[in-house]
Amino acid sequence: MDEKNSRRDFLKKGLSATAFATLVTSQAEAFSMQNPGRDAKDAKYIGQVGKHFVMVLDLRKCIGCQACTSVCKVENDVPDEQYRTFVTETEVGEFPDPRKAFLPQLCNHCADPACVPVCPTGATFKREDGIVVVDNTVCWGCGYCINACPYDKRYFNERTKTADKCNFCAHRVDKGLLPACVETCIGGARIFGDVNDKTSEVYQVLQQFPTTVLKEAEGTNPQVFYIGLDSRLEELYSTTQSLDDVVKAEEGFNREWMKARGEEENHG
Amino acid sequence: MDSINTLVSSITIAKPWGIDVPNYFWFTGSSAAAFIISSFAHVFGWKKYKPIAGIALLMAFVLLVAAPLNLLDDLRQPGRVLNFFMYGWENFPTSPMKWGGLLLIAYPILIFFEAQALYRPYFVRHAQQGSLLAKLFTFGNMDLSEAAREKDHRKGYILGAIGIPLALAVHGYTGYIMGAVHANPMYHTPLMPIIFLASAMVSGTGLLILLIPLFQRFLSERQRVDHDMVATLARLLSWFIVADLVMRFLWLTFALTFGNGEKYALYHYFTLHFNETLWIDYVLGLFIPLIIGFTKLRFIPAVVYFGGFVTAVGVWIFRWNTVIGGETIPRTTPGFLHYAPPVFGQDSYISVLSNWGILFALIALVLLVFPWDEEMEDCYEGVENEK
Repeated sequence: MDEKNSRRDFLKKGLSATAFATLVTSQAEAFSMQNPGRDAKDAKYIGQVGKHFVMVLDLRKCIGCQACTSVCKVENDVPDEQYRTFVTETEVGEFPDPRKAFLPQLCNHCADPACVPVCPTGATFKREDGIVVVDNTVCWGCGYCINACPYDKRYFNERTKTADKCNFCAHRVDKGLLPACVETCIGGARIFGDVNDKTSEVYQVLQQFPTTVLKEAEGTNPQVFYIGLDSRLEELYSTTQSLDDVVKAEEGFNREWMKARGEEENHG
Repeated sequence: MDSINTLVSSITIAKPWGIDVPNYFWFTGSSAAAFIISSFAHVFGWKKYKPIAGIALLMAFVLLVAAPLNLLDDLRQPGRVLNFFMYGWENFPTSPMKWGGLLLIAYPILIFFEAQALYRPYFVRHAQQGSLLAKLFTFGNMDLSEAAREKDHRKGYILGAIGIPLALAVHGYTGYIMGAVHANPMYHTPLMPIIFLASAMVSGTGLLILLIPLFQRFLSERQRVDHDMVATLARLLSWFIVADLVMRFLWLTFALTFGNGEKYALYHYFTLHFNETLWIDYVLGLFIPLIIGFTKLRFIPAVVYFGGFVTAVGVWIFRWNTVIGGETIPRTTPGFLHYAPPVFGQDSYISVLSNWGILFALIALVLLVFPWDEEMEDCYEGVENEK
């Protein structure tokens, strides 16, 4: 090898390596494996280390009053016609033995969520206390997480134009308060707390009662547990929607009565 | 015991992906197909496809430049596009969208350099006649010697060979995006990337069957359509349709018959949409063009153009039925959802039509800039000399 060339080579390489290193370090703050809030170890993003928040819904106590539905909208400033939680109301069984059944639903804060790993911007993530949150200052609104959620518990917030969902009222929980829906539930059907704390109500309830989760087969390991869940409430294809308020609003009552009398085929 | 359940009230969310997404999938798919067809000549050395290899490469380029605009339009926060590149890299292994970002940048750059290598000698000639633009595209290499042209050829071959897996990936990843969504019975199959690739080959070939004769008849020096080529493409199309049908057969027979709980959702969906799926998607969009390509009908150009048109449209409808149809399947509330794109605004009919407008503008631009016509003429002369 020619010595002169090798020295020039060395200088050239050294200079370009230095230039490259400078560029990388100057850009290092911009690039992130996660997102700026998590990198800054902001308490809102990290959550309450050592705790694991879960919710139990005791369906024996739910009366379908929708107090949770409305307080959630107020507390979280959810836009009109959009909801983070709601209670589905179904009639199960046939005359003379029908009964009403209610199914309160919210984000399941899955231990193995389907929505988080597909996020291309790192805007949605799981805090260390198990709460799945969305950073609406980072989300670019691609909707991948919304399609990935098996429970349909994410939506595009019309105001922020980003993915939005229940966050267990993290802002309240971080101040030692209960989520708004739990606080307001008049039947005491919603029980919330740190499952790592063995003296907590939620831990005791989970120990004493058999519970189940929605769509266990999805493998998402939901952290919202139900007591007294009737499998018929998850039946989508044998349930008619003939009394659905939405249908009423769209098609009027006459059509509704025709459907109820069986004069018109209902694809529901 | 069959129970009678009646829903009294519930709420279901609006789904995120609109008309832009099937259109985007159609664009990337057709681009991948056009690239593969151009590689028949550039990489595999099949002389029969040489005359259309250049124009197919240019079509692959414009389709892929126009395609990502659909994605920008589908974003609710398009101004935050930089966040995609700056944050969230820990999700790289599990978010196929992340892969797509890199592929969508790498693939058009690669095609551009391949096209530059292919057309460099023609750019040199134009530059010698004083065209500044052509001089720019020669990248300063004005050498027309045999050795220099061999080097161009070699460069085109290498880029084409790298480009084949890249083209498959740039469309395959879109199928991966869908297949990864286990919450959606329509999307969730490991076959989805392959199904998408097979139908992409169909739509891309259908598109070339429409565009190439148009360019040859009205824009080339010859002013004459190569009818042999049209018949060849029709036959190629039929083989791609066979591949597509095999993939769809495997998918649907497994999903509808041997699937777990997902089969009920698909069963209800296809019962609801049985007629349009069978007659439009399969009979008109696939079986009729299949017959055209495998029979003497392929020697009647008008019939082949019809076949190309219905496959291109049919695959677009298949993309729509998969993306939008999948989104209408309920998850927590009984009853299928409805979706009709708005006429104006984001994710609307107008935005998709505008995207097509941009595609045609880009086609016009590359046809003006690249000396595709002279190259095609040289290929035909080469073939005729050999005869």
